Parts: sequence; structure tokens; C-alpha cells
Amino acid sequence: MVTIDLAKIPVREANERIRQYGAEGQDVEVINPDARHHIGVGLTAEINVKIRGSAGYFCAGLTDKVHFEVDNNVGWGLGDNIYNGSVVVGGNAGAIAGVAIRGAELVIRGNMGSRAGQVMKAGTLCCAGNANFMAGYMMYGGRIIILGDSGERVGEDMAGGEIYVGGEVHSLGSDAQIVDVDGAELDDIRAFLDRYELKFKGTFKKVVNAGKNLRYATSERQVRSIPFFTFSGETDYWNAKIQEDLYIKSQIGRYRIRGYGGARELPHLSDLAFKKDLSQSDHGPDPVSKVNMYTEIGGINGATPLKLSMPVMIAPMSYGALSRSTKQAIGMASSLSSIAENTGEGGMSDAQRDAAAQLIFQCLGGRLGWNIYDMKRANGLEIYISQGAKPGFGGQLMAKKVTKELAEIRGIPPGIDLRSPSRHPDILGADDLVIKVEEFREATSYKLPVSVKLGAGRVRDDMKIAVKDGFDFVELDGMQGSTGAGGAEVMEYVGIPTVAAIMEALDALEEIGVRDKMQIVLMGGIRDGIDAAKALCLGSDAVGYGTSTIIAGGCIACMQCHVGQCVTGIATQDPEHEKRYQPAIEAQNIHRFLESVRWQIATVTHALGYTDVKQLNRDDLVALTPEAAAITRLPYEPGYRDRHLELKAKVG
Amino acid sequence: MCGIAGIMYRGEGGGLHVAKALIDMLDGCQHRGPDSTGFALYGQAAKGELKLRFFVGQGDEAVTAVERIQKTLAEQHASIIEDEHIGDNYRVVVQFSGDVRKFAYAMEQAAKVISIGESLDIVKDVGKAHEVDERYAVHKFTSTHGLGHVRLATESDVKPESAHPFWATGFADVAIVHNGQITNYWKMRRRLEQRDFEFRTDNDSELIAVYLADKLSQGIALQEALKTSIDDLDGTFSFLVSTKDEIGYAKDRLAVKPMIMYENDDLIAVASEEVSLNRLFPGQALNTKEPPPGSYNTWSRST
Repeated sequence: MVTIDLAKIPVREANERIRQYGAEGQDVEVINPDARHHIGVGLTAEINVKIRGSAGYFCAGLTDKVHFEVDNNVGWGLGDNIYNGSVVVGGNAGAIAGVAIRGAELVIRGNMGSRAGQVMKAGTLCCAGNANFMAGYMMYGGRIIILGDSGERVGEDMAGGEIYVGGEVHSLGSDAQIVDVDGAELDDIRAFLDRYELKFKGTFKKVVNAGKNLRYATSERQVRSIPFFTFSGETDYWNAKIQEDLYIKSQIGRYRIRGYGGARELPHLSDLAFKKDLSQSDHGPDPVSKVNMYTEIGGINGATPLKLSMPVMIAPMSYGALSRSTKQAIGMASSLSSIAENTGEGGMSDAQRDAAAQLIFQCLGGRLGWNIYDMKRANGLEIYISQGAKPGFGGQLMAKKVTKELAEIRGIPPGIDLRSPSRHPDILGADDLVIKVEEFREATSYKLPVSVKLGAGRVRDDMKIAVKDGFDFVELDGMQGSTGAGGAEVMEYVGIPTVAAIMEALDALEEIGVRDKMQIVLMGGIRDGIDAAKALCLGSDAVGYGTSTIIAGGCIACMQCHVGQCVTGIATQDPEHEKRYQPAIEAQNIHRFLESVRWQIATVTHALGYTDVKQLNRDDLVALTPEAAAITRLPYEPGYRDRHLELKAKVG
Repeated sequence: MCGIAGIMYRGEGGGLHVAKALIDMLDGCQHRGPDSTGFALYGQAAKGELKLRFFVGQGDEAVTAVERIQKTLAEQHASIIEDEHIGDNYRVVVQFSGDVRKFAYAMEQAAKVISIGESLDIVKDVGKAHEVDERYAVHKFTSTHGLGHVRLATESDVKPESAHPFWATGFADVAIVHNGQITNYWKMRRRLEQRDFEFRTDNDSELIAVYLADKLSQGIALQEALKTSIDDLDGTFSFLVSTKDEIGYAKDRLAVKPMIMYENDDLIAVASEEVSLNRLFPGQALNTKEPPPGSYNTWSRST
């Protein structure tokens, strides 16, 4: 047994040593912990750690195969996301004990705080004292054993798993019910209690999901889809789109879910033009060789940056919304074009990891597929707060797509209409967020860039928080972004346009004088290299392509992504449908599209008289509409619109 | 977006310990708010005397502000006993026996008031706990109890006047520190404004302070005022309030914002995180308590 004294060394150094001792098979005793955060985060070697005192937030978080004993109390997020092993706490635990655990045994001899076991997937969380408000909130699996009282609203919105209450059930959460406990279950609980020397003579009430809210009551009837160009027309109040909408709502009696992005006309990058008449410039045969496009993202605070051959990334899209083959093809294309790919929600598949040379791993509120091993093999970590198509809302994955295999990766019951949480259990403000970011850095030895994905809402405030909480870059997603499934009205009417988002973001950084302390990757309806060049001129450091890559890889824009029967094999989990998708071929298609983007960015940059994409700036742009001018504060030059139209006519 | 702390020593145990304890506790949770730090400290009250503290800045700006303050004090029949220009503050002790609210509103016209009280003195500024201590010699304060706050500025600027604690504008000796967000802020503020209360900031913490002080001035006990605050205020909050002889807390029903407390024979300490409490007792595991959602309580110096 080796002793580590936290009065003498900081937690960061202590964790490095504990990892080292773990690898050597040595056990560790931590003295003078004094409720410090992140003790033991990120351990994946078998080890016994004894903490002589109280620990702070995320004790034993993001670990596997560890055995922790804490003599006294622990703060929020005990054992966050732990896989296997055990944590025994002698005193009380703060809020969200056992958050998102994927296995292991957590025992708290005292009381535990609110929302214990939130979004847990498996394992046992046992509290010998009383639980508090909303124990088992949104849990997907595993069991919670409470020997004392349950607290209010136990089992709130739980989708799976069991909660056994030995004391009084104060009140049940929504969609929770009390059922009988059978003998075998009781024996198993007694064996568990014996193992941890917990004495309990009484009986248990068992709280489970009542099954009233796991699926939408009525499914949307399949109709022949309206082509996107008709769908996006707004010429008429009672057009085909509105009629279809009314008809479907008359059948289902609720809001509609659909795939794709908003279809309303909004100010966008196409309302901006280059001041210089680029048609007059001669780019020569190989503009790409004349412009430096290499861009590093995420290194501003000392992490290993993503190395991009051009200021371009793939926007986060989930395995789940998209098929495994599609994610694989996008990964391959990202490698062929030397840019970075992003997992989106729902975990990382081996195929995707192998395909993408640089891969950002995204963490969402449901912690679906989130785990320490994939964190360690990622090239960047990203905390998703929201997305441009539906800022403030969680993801939706209809039952058809929640197959057995997918459910397993995500750690949820198969066949439910998965409505992902819109909030993180442990991020309820900028003050909690800073502790979460630190946890990720601790778990990955401060090597990986940690970014935040922001759907454009209150961009000004969010950007300031991003800087103050020490993120390495922001992925900023405007209203023109798409989604695999979202409320139809939300997509059309919630959020702010991409050009407005980047302006607010830059204003926020200017206001607090930190433009050089944050990088912005702008996304949301970026379609080609021209859009990219304009976004770079406005002040983005890079841009993200989502929908464009899907279309380049065979999507026919039928907007039925949510249904799960995608004819092209992209937005489906049905193996029969997926067969139609050929990753190797589509990867080449996506790659060729990305190379067209490269050529366009290079050509514009060169034509504007520059040799490096970093030289692109606002002075190169004008606004074609009063709205775009008002948003971007660029000079309003309607004359350029005629030139724009003329050019368009010429090209045909 | 912040960290809060409060401490009250029983009996005569406070003295220099209160300020020192708050500095340590806030240093312990500075990660929750690196932008600004503040202290509300309760010292000895002398009969008929009021302590006032203002933001006046530096140089010429400060000279004119102090002149304006002294002129308004004279108009309000408040005679200066002692005064001092320290950091960006002008601190003055006056003899005054009139209506505090009217006096306070009048003084607000002269300069930015930080606090007014018989025993309360608020020190707050941009910077970390030790930096603010260095500027204003916080560790030299003798007090019985106090509150502290570290702030991460989001919606409003990083300015000294947006730092916490907040004084209940118009009411002597009431201060508040708050972590969270009041979502029915404007509704509640308009209600109070209709009754002629004035607000100096758009900060929701000032609202809580005025809301509670108004109840107290109607003779309602602090316990009772805290109880109604949980019904009347919407949003997520954990806050601490202090008066001349009491400290109290309230926590919202959703238990979104953290709070943890420790009591022994000598003191009561409350903080956002246990790591702050442990700063007072290094190397010692504490028997702490996390207040349940929707709860409130008070401690009085006499009990």
C-alpha cells in the first residue's frame, strides 16, 4: 500500500501517480483528501484505493475495475459512468450519486442527495440511509436499493431498471409504479447487503417504469413525401405542405417529428457576396497549391490540436440517426481529405474509429454510449449543449431505429421511442460545467482538446461561459443545421440563423477582450466552399459540414430520416436497408465533395489576393439584402446582387 | 454562476476568524467563479452610527465622487465621524438618526452605494479572494458573522458593482449571496417597484435581498420570509441571507444548486461545496449535511 498525501500534492499529480500504481498493481491510500474533486478519475487498471476522509465531485468517475473506499462523504457525481468494480462510501453522498453508471456496485452507508442514479444504465447503487428528490431520474437500467426513505418523485421518467425502497415511498415520479418483489430478487438483494455487511430486516417496495410514456401513443402515418424544393416554398398559406401537416396532426393529435432542417427562408451566407469581382481573376490550373489551408483547432490551451488539411470538419451526426455504414463512409472520407470526424450522440463504433484518422467523441446528457475507453481513444472530447436545428431540445430516436444492438451500445432498453435528455445531469450552470470539463481533462491526462457544441440560442452568454470554463474551441451551430429527428415547428422557428450566430459569438469575445482565446467552428447549412470562404471571412476559424456530406453520399432529401426505413441505407438501422449503402463507394463520393470544397476555398482565397486562408477577413464581403446587412453590419450593396444574378445566368 | 459561503461564530468566537475563514472558503471554491469576489461582514454596531461604503474609483473621478457624497451627507444631516479612501471604495461612518431608506436612495444619487448598515460592511471587487483581500485588507475585519461569494460573470459585465454580496438597497444591514437564477425576476421586481422600492442593478440577487428586507421591515421573522420566498421565487437558487444577528438559507424545490453545511459547538458554516468547509478544518473529515430541496433555516447569534 502506497500513501498519497493531498496536502502535499495537487489532485492532478496524485491521479497520475494513482494511475501509475494501478498499472504496477499497487494499492493506494489517499490522506488529507479534504473533499477535493476528481480523486481517482480515469483509472482503468485494477486497483484498491482507500480515501481517508471526504472526497469531492466525481470521485472514482470514468473508471473501470477499481475498488474505492471513502471513509466519509463524497460530493456530486459519485462513480460517474463507472463500468465495473465497487465504491463504498462511509458517510453521505451529494447529488447525482451513481450518475450514468454502466455497471459496478456503489454503496453509500449514509444518505444520498438528489437525482441519484440519473441516466444510469446498469449496476447497483445502494444507499443505507435516505434518498432525496427524484432518485432514479431517467434511469435506463440497473438497480437502486434504498434502505431508508425514497424522497419525493422516485423513479421520475425512468425508462428501465428497478428501484427497491425499504422505507417509505414519499411519492412516485411520472410514469413510475410500485409492483411486487419476487423471492429470487429478494434473495439477490439480501446477498448483496450481506456482502457489504448492511443489516436490514424489513421488506421492499419495488418501483419500475409504468410503460405509459415510452412510446408515442400514435405513430405518424407514412405518406408520400413532398419533395424538399416544394416543401421549402412559402408562396401560399394553404399549400401542400400545410395541408399535409394538418392532416397528419388530425390523426396523431400531437406535434410532428421529422428529419432534416428548417425549410424557411432565412438570412444566410448566400445573402453575402465578395466585394471583389472574382470572375475576373485567373486562378490558374492549381489554386490549391498556391494557398496555405492547413489549420489547427483545439490547441490554444496546450492540448494536442486537431490537424486539418483545410479549415473544415465533419459536423457531429450520431450512429443511431445514421447507419453504421454511413458513419464509416464519412469517417473514411474525413481521413482521405485529412480533416476531423465527430461521433455525435450515441457512442463510437470500431468501424468508425478505424475509418476516421481524427475523431471527436461527443458527450450528451443521456451519456448514451459514453465511456472511458472510447474517451481515451478519441482525438478530442466534446460536450454537447444543444444543436442549431433544435436548440434546447434533446435528440429523438424513434423505436424503429432503437434496435437491440444499438440499444446495447447506448445502454438503454430496446424498442422505446428514445427522447434523449435535453440537459446534462451534472451541468446545471457554468459553475458545474467547469468541474465537468476538468473531469474530462483529468480522465485523459490533459492531452485532448475539449470543445463545446452550442446550438445558436443565447450565443453571447454561451460564448462567454465557454471561454471562462476553459474550452479549447466552440462548435457553433446555426438554425440552418439539420437533425435526424426533431419537432417540425422547432426546426422552423426556434433558434437563430448561422450568420447571426457567428456575429453574436464574435461580439461576445470582443466584449470581454478574448478573441484570440477561443476558436470557432461554424456550422449550420454550409453547402460548399463558397459558403465556407464567407464564413471564414466573417471570423470563423473553421466550418463544419453535416447534411452536405450526407447528400454527397447518396441522401435523396426525403425528410423521413426519423422513420428508420431510409431507402438509401443512410438513416436506418435495418440491415436490409443498410445493405444498399456501400461505404467504400460513398466514402469516395463524400471525399470528392470535400475536395471540391477545398478547391473552392483555395480559389476564392487566391482570387482575393491571399496566400493563406487565415488572411480572409470581413472587408472582403458585402451584404446583398438589408436583413443580412443588419445582422452582419457589412455594407449593404444591392448592386452586387445584379452581378450575382448575371453571373448565375451566365453559368446557366 | 458562482460559489457562496457563510459563517457565524457562536458567542464571542468571531473576531478576526470570520473574515479569515471566508477568504479561505472562497479560495477553496474559486473555480466556481474566477471573475470577482466579495464579502459581507458584520462588525460591532455603535448606537446612532451608520457605516456606508461607495464605489468611487481612483484619481479625479474619485475626488469628485467623494465631494458629491460629502455634500449629500450634509444635506441629509449625517455628520461624518471617520472616513477613508481604500482601493476603489470610499468608506465613511456617520452619525445619522433619520429614515434609512430615504437616506439610502438620496445617497445613491451621489455615488454607487455598496452597503449601508449599523454593523454591515460589504467589500467586493473584480479579482480572486486573495486579491480582493490584498486591496481592501479584508483579513483585518473584526466581525461576528458574514457571507462571501465568488462570481463567474455571464449575462452582466465583470464590474465591481455586479459582484456579490448584494445589499438590500434601502434597508440597513441586510445582505445576500446567491447561486442560481430567478426566472420570475421582472414580475417580482415590478411588484416591488409599484410599492416605491428602487433597484440599482438588473441582478436577480438584489431582488431577493429587497424582497426579504421588505418582509423583515414588516415585522415578519426571517424564517417566515425565507419560507415564502420558496413559494414566491421561481427558478433555481441556493442563497444565503444575513442580518445584524442572523444567517439564513433557502434552496429551491428542484435542488439544482449545491449547498452543504457544517455545525459544531463553535460555529455554523455553509458553502456551495464541501471542499470550502474543509478549508477550515484541514485533514479532518466533517460530518456535513446537505439541505433537502425546498428547505430553509436560520441561525441566530443568540442561540
